[in-house]
Amino acid sequence: MNRYNYFNNNWLRNTTNDKFLNNNSSLFTPKEGFEKGNLFANLYSQYKNYKPAKLRADNERERMYLELSEIAFASHELNLYLDVHPNDTSMITLFNDYRKKEMELTKAYEQKYGPLTVNSENSSANHFSWVDGSWPWERDNNV
Amino acid sequence: MFKYCKKLQYPINIKKKDLRMAKYLVTQYGGSNGELAAALRYLNQRFTMPDDIGKALLTDIGTEELAHVEMISTMIYQLMKDATLNEIEEAGLDAHYAEHAKALYPTDANGVPFTVTYFATTGDPLADISEDMAAEQKARAVYENLIDLTDDPEVIGPLLWLRQREIVHYTRFKELFEYYEKKLKNGANEFKESPIPTYDNYMTNFLDNPLNNFTNDTFSMNKMHLDNNEFFM
Repeated sequence: MNRYNYFNNNWLRNTTNDKFLNNNSSLFTPKEGFEKGNLFANLYSQYKNYKPAKLRADNERERMYLELSEIAFASHELNLYLDVHPNDTSMITLFNDYRKKEMELTKAYEQKYGPLTVNSENSSANHFSWVDGSWPWERDNNV
Repeated sequence: MFKYCKKLQYPINIKKKDLRMAKYLVTQYGGSNGELAAALRYLNQRFTMPDDIGKALLTDIGTEELAHVEMISTMIYQLMKDATLNEIEEAGLDAHYAEHAKALYPTDANGVPFTVTYFATTGDPLADISEDMAAEQKARAVYENLIDLTDDPEVIGPLLWLRQREIVHYTRFKELFEYYEKKLKNGANEFKESPIPTYDNYMTNFLDNPLNNFTNDTFSMNKMHLDNNEFFM
């Protein structure tokens, strides 16, 4: 008896996205999804003839920042999907892959360029580096 | 609780000042279909979602909307940053300047300040989620209007991106709506009767349904909790 599989969402299988959503090939890559603002190929809908902006990294910091943003976006997209489809095992697997990658990239970025959250390792004994620049709304501190 | 992450969800780097555009864009900050209204709408409605699915989705989308508030605010800030007083007057932002100088303030494009009357909570999941679906569609439409009003690629890029987010959120809300609609139709109206499960509700549900058929379409989250509760094992 599958007592813990309490969430029977079989009926959802017949609605909107589930036919393709069990097939990860219908997802954009994190890079492409991030550029578009949408990880789900069947949900993407272009406005007029506008193409998504191409994001270009000009240096190592921007490259790492961009890569982190892409993977963070992909795991967030799957988070929202899994909220409504919590028993989709292939999506859970993919979410965990992205989530782990996001943690690795976050750590790597922070080691070089400072903390992204106040809980990150961020202080020497005599300086609290959380306060240091790179507040996200300042121009040129982005990609 | 919420924790701040010191990055934008999508990069914004607008080099060309454009007060006219800043004046329009502010509606996605403090207007009726804006991001602030969206964040507060979902983060407020989530408390009375009838099960964990709805609570999770409204929490997570509401949280993302806060990141969009930050993106829109960043765009307005960068568009206004280098403006001279003359330019501010010419763009009709002198009244804004009188009150706020170049600081941000949530209004719509006509300068009408943000108000919580932009959103509702009824306590009815279908009514609330319908509103959320409509809100996403309206925000998408406003993003399209805004894209039509500019030719600066550094402004268009983030607006296109935010527009897609409305489409994804709409889809998730629609899935949640259909799931609740089906659930309510199947008679699982314990939603209404005991939105906050009590010890007695657990007991009653348990005794009424000794088999606790977890594979049935009319499953109940309450039963799952019961099953996990050591007290009853």
